[in-house]
Amino acid sequence: MSFEAKRCGVHFDPPSIILVYIHSDTKKVRKRIIPVRNFSKYSDCSMAAERLKNHPRHRDYLDQVPQSQLEKLHVILRDHMQGYTMEHSLASFRLDPDEDLNKLDDEELARKKGQMDRLFERNRKRRDDPGFVYDLEVQFDRKAQEKCSWDDESDDGF
Amino acid sequence: MADDVGSITEVDQNKYDVDEQVKIICLGDSAVGKSKLMERFLMDEYRPQQLSTYALTLYKHTATVGNKTIVVDFWDTAGQERFQSMHPSYYHKAHACIMVFDVQRKITYKNLAAWHKELREYRPEIPCCVVANKIDADLKVTQRSFNFAKKHGLPFYFVSAADGTNVVKMFRDMIKRAVDYKQNPRDFMDEVMRELENFDLEKKEENSEADEDGLKAESPELD
Repeated sequence: MSFEAKRCGVHFDPPSIILVYIHSDTKKVRKRIIPVRNFSKYSDCSMAAERLKNHPRHRDYLDQVPQSQLEKLHVILRDHMQGYTMEHSLASFRLDPDEDLNKLDDEELARKKGQMDRLFERNRKRRDDPGFVYDLEVQFDRKAQEKCSWDDESDDGF
Repeated sequence: MADDVGSITEVDQNKYDVDEQVKIICLGDSAVGKSKLMERFLMDEYRPQQLSTYALTLYKHTATVGNKTIVVDFWDTAGQERFQSMHPSYYHKAHACIMVFDVQRKITYKNLAAWHKELREYRPEIPCCVVANKIDADLKVTQRSFNFAKKHGLPFYFVSAADGTNVVKMFRDMIKRAVDYKQNPRDFMDEVMRELENFDLEKKEENSEADEDGLKAESPELD
């Protein structure tokens, strides 16, 4: 028996994680409502996500849902409990290439890093992947390179 | 000698004076991938030591350079970069520096100027390189030339911590340069330190010679 996760979201009241999935035996689309218990505006979202992911009654259903996504849904839920809007939560995940991330606190930075990690994991080559080369070297042709627009003559040191 | 810049109590920085030990530091903005690069290079060896009080992570690595075994301590920031300045002990006795930026974020490239300036205040001559990370996000960046490195005479690497491109090459080059530098320092302070050490040694030798002379003088003639 396996479940193909299609979508996973969050419901504020009562606090719950909603999973839409296809039952692989019956091919039927089902919706599962998973109540989020013992969770407050002070809770640790990463731990809560891990707990849910390993929950004996839900883990088979959540098998295909990355823990990072569950964590994100918990963050949105907790933001809501703290009185923030959904827009605020979503903006906190969004990557703005011009934003100075040095100015963020730990929690805000963790949200941005979480987004970056998605790309990292997508492109990641692991040791047991076929064709993995530990000391992969690639030469890039210096002569064919064009000047980078980031090197503005007026800037000091560039 | 009072050594208060090296006063991170959990790390004895005097060990970096030993020939087989080098210290390599990482610099760059938040979220440019400094730790990810370390993890990719070290793979299974990856066992960081977190010093959260100092917002610092240390990674130990053993390398072979020539026919010598070298113990490398990599110093990585753990949030200290947020203040866009590092504690002087971070630079203290460093033998090489890896400066990283994110090719997707211009601000991290522009901030290299400030990082490089601070580095050179503490370590005017140590080998340093510029690393353009996350090229897997958009390979087109490798068709562009980033002038900062050339302008400061620093080696430049296009790398990806995710797919591994040029990560190991960059680290191996830097370890070798750190060892070369250590054997042949160009920093004024390093030379002063060396002179002082030699001075101490000479003094000790003089003393021991004097003792020997004294002994000789007192020892009876045997033949």
